[in-house]
Amino acid sequence: MEYKTVLTTCGYCGCGCGLYLEVLDGQLAGAQPCKTDSVSQGGLCIKGWNVHEFVQNSERLTKPLIKKDGQFREATWDEALDTVASRLKKIKGEKGPDSIAFLTSAKCTNEENYLLQKLARAVVGTNHVDHCARL
Amino acid sequence: MAKEVQSTGSFEPKIIAFLCNWCSYGGADLAGVSRLQYPANTRTIRVMCTATISPHHILKAFQKGADGVLVAGCHIGDCHYIKGNYMTIKRVAILKDLLRFTGFQEERLYLDWISSAEGVRFAETIRNFTQKIKELGPSHLRISY
Amino acid sequence: MKEMQGRARKLLEEKKIDGFIGLKMQHGHPAPFMFSRENLGEVETLVVGDVRYPLNKALLKVANQYPEITLGVMVRGCDERGLTELLKWNQLHRDRVVPVGIACTRELADSCECYKPYPSDWVVGEKTEGIAKSKRLQKIEGMNQKERLGYWLNQFNKCIKCYGCRDVCPMCFCEVCSLEDRNFILTGKLPPENPTFHLSRAVHMVGRCIDCGLCEEACPSNIPVRTLYKKINEIVKEYFGYRTGESSEGKSPLNLLGEVTLELSDVNK
Repeated sequence: MEYKTVLTTCGYCGCGCGLYLEVLDGQLAGAQPCKTDSVSQGGLCIKGWNVHEFVQNSERLTKPLIKKDGQFREATWDEALDTVASRLKKIKGEKGPDSIAFLTSAKCTNEENYLLQKLARAVVGTNHVDHCARL
Repeated sequence: MAKEVQSTGSFEPKIIAFLCNWCSYGGADLAGVSRLQYPANTRTIRVMCTATISPHHILKAFQKGADGVLVAGCHIGDCHYIKGNYMTIKRVAILKDLLRFTGFQEERLYLDWISSAEGVRFAETIRNFTQKIKELGPSHLRISY
Repeated sequence: MKEMQGRARKLLEEKKIDGFIGLKMQHGHPAPFMFSRENLGEVETLVVGDVRYPLNKALLKVANQYPEITLGVMVRGCDERGLTELLKWNQLHRDRVVPVGIACTRELADSCECYKPYPSDWVVGEKTEGIAKSKRLQKIEGMNQKERLGYWLNQFNKCIKCYGCRDVCPMCFCEVCSLEDRNFILTGKLPPENPTFHLSRAVHMVGRCIDCGLCEEACPSNIPVRTLYKKINEIVKEYFGYRTGESSEGKSPLNLLGEVTLELSDVNK
């Protein structure tokens, strides 16, 4: 029988509000805003209040999936990445680099976003890069 | 926000009346059968007892642009379900004070007890209430759909 | 602080309770935590301080999972009112909750405008006088109808529908919430139904609000929701002579049919 709260940062957007994840016997039971956090000062948006729901959700993806004949089947990381690379190469060859667009995420770090736009510009050769916060 | 309309102008209020099946709806029926005249601004909603009217319903009516809400039930002691109207008067009293505190004209919500034999009183209540709402003007929550 | 640590340790050692819900200093922040007999040494990190969390909610979570155990909990005046009310609503068992009181400081009582900033007995703090009339309410009551309307509509316009006020409220334990009813509060638009969203929450707070102020502290848009609920408490006291959590007997006016004490003339003023 154990109840504790773990101080962490919300991963949903670039704000980075401080929040406590409530843990009851190893299972996430809720979220509370951290009142002494200098960024969020005790406030949370609706995503932050429900951040405990997706972490241990049974519907989370655990393996890469590739669609074949309208059905998803499990694959390895190598297989999945090879598929993506070859398809993107094919599209770039047939339709040109500007037919591919890249969408980054506020959940990623700045460094990860930098890498993706570098991939878009230097490797694929397009400046069609945008961010989920603009949607 | 709706444009301000003069009270003697062409403003026709929209009033929602929640009437209980046993008493006030009967009173409204009697008013109709007796061919009593009253303004046609009221839309009636028949409920089994005014106790089934939640503050949610009243707030939703105002949110959707009702200029006035009338809640009419049985007289105290005459409720078909014995004590339903005890709850109604408590809820409406609290809601009216809350509306006044937040700046809404709480006269737009009116509670009355009308029995099924009081056709004349029903018509009179509607007449008076419609006149009062006409003077108050359109509700600030009214948006033209 | 030492007194609270001492009391928690004593209750755990004497097996009067199986867990103590309090605040633990973690990485420089006070965090809600349940102290237990297995790790008695951790009681040294228990803190009191001025930062408040809805410990009653943690209590309810643990008690629902383990209905047979007895739990201790740190309570201030407002938390104790909450416990009294939760017992009346059958959410807790009277013999399985051991509250340990904290009397609030003058500064906290003033900022909360609390009418009773101390529980029935306490181990930390000193009794301070409550505030009879709230300045927040006086400010609104000093405005005329048009000013009030403008003020409240503007405040409710800031709402981002985070449900923080409801999620943090120690008295909100409903499993299905009316504010999530899609026919009532339409989805996909911000701000949510102005003013129905906040007014219906205020109506739900009748006989439930303990005036802890956590709702206003959790609002990211700084909407003065506490003022609304303070007014609700005043209305309920005026009409029914009822104060949430004041007595362990007697249900709240909208929870009990009771006898009718109001006339139409009281209502249609």
